[in-house]
Amino acid sequence: MNFIKRIFTGMKQEPEEPVVEESSVTEEIESSPVAEEAAQTEAEPSFPDVRRVLQIPVISEGVFPEGSDEVLIKAQPSPTGDQCLFTVNRSLMTGHSWYFADFESAEGSSLAERLFSQEDVETVLVCECTVTITRKDKTLFDWAPLAKDVGTAIREAIQDGEGLIAEKIIADLPTEEEVREGIQKVIDIEVNPGVAGHGGNISLLDVRGNSVTIQMGGGCQGCSAADLTLKQGIHTSFRTAVPKVGAIFDETDHTAGLNPFFS
Amino acid sequence: MPKVNTFKVKVQTGLQGMSEPVHFNFNNHNMPFENVTGSTGAGETFEGSFDVNSFAHSLTLSGPKSGKWGIDKITVEYDCENEKPYSVKFGGVNLDESTEVNIWQDPPVLAFDV
Repeated sequence: MNFIKRIFTGMKQEPEEPVVEESSVTEEIESSPVAEEAAQTEAEPSFPDVRRVLQIPVISEGVFPEGSDEVLIKAQPSPTGDQCLFTVNRSLMTGHSWYFADFESAEGSSLAERLFSQEDVETVLVCECTVTITRKDKTLFDWAPLAKDVGTAIREAIQDGEGLIAEKIIADLPTEEEVREGIQKVIDIEVNPGVAGHGGNISLLDVRGNSVTIQMGGGCQGCSAADLTLKQGIHTSFRTAVPKVGAIFDETDHTAGLNPFFS
Repeated sequence: MPKVNTFKVKVQTGLQGMSEPVHFNFNNHNMPFENVTGSTGAGETFEGSFDVNSFAHSLTLSGPKSGKWGIDKITVEYDCENEKPYSVKFGGVNLDESTEVNIWQDPPVLAFDV
């Protein structure tokens, strides 16, 4: 019974009343140090050591052949099918990123204007040498037809040589400090109190230009709803509070730890 | 979460070698490699594989129980069910008794030219 009680309360084993003559107690303690040690081990069960899992970068092979004058574009639909990443063999916006929420926001940016002229394009995110497109029709998973049109639009915009991103946007880009302050504030005031109810937390890891990198922790790490929380909750909060924030990267390793259930 | 049939690692050790058997953790089960060739001495290359036949959510390479292991490069070849075999190269890392390194990568998402 005492054993069961210890399991639930984490109590150490209490020595039972010795049923021996007083004269033999001293002798027993002196003669059996090993037994005493064994009893102590039983009372304090040892747990396996949990090692720290290190993440190291993957060495990626070159996506495109080097030194090509041709505009080369690769399309990579997301596993969830709601977005498609287009990687181009040249920079589209150096050092910063920009999120175009709708056609009106694309005014003056030839790249985004051409992309929004495609019927199914909902939003456009330009970051360094990549363009991420979300589509309006969430029931379609085959990106091939739209991706071809998007590829053509990107290629034409580059070859036209007009300003891919509006000068007004470039001139008004926020400093890293402004982005950091704004995002940290919205994390502290709005996001973290919201996810705390599920035992989760969000931390701001890095700010580069106007792009931010976050990490989900606590109950959010490994959660099967993390993608939904990120895209519909965190992205919306960040873009409402800091409209000039560009790309939002999530560096959470959802498979780490002893009990992930993300996959 | 694909079903991994087999995986094979090739570890290039840097200046800091180690002499213990190499272990990995598959879904938190610690096991030694099979079909081992080479060594983990300084500047040497170790190769080992394992027939897993199970669904992967984590795969790590364990550090030695004592001392340090300086790794220059890790190459992992995965053979998963219903996927083309693929390989991933990782950069350098230093491991010890308190660390392990993630060597799992999901199969590459299909990319196409447009």
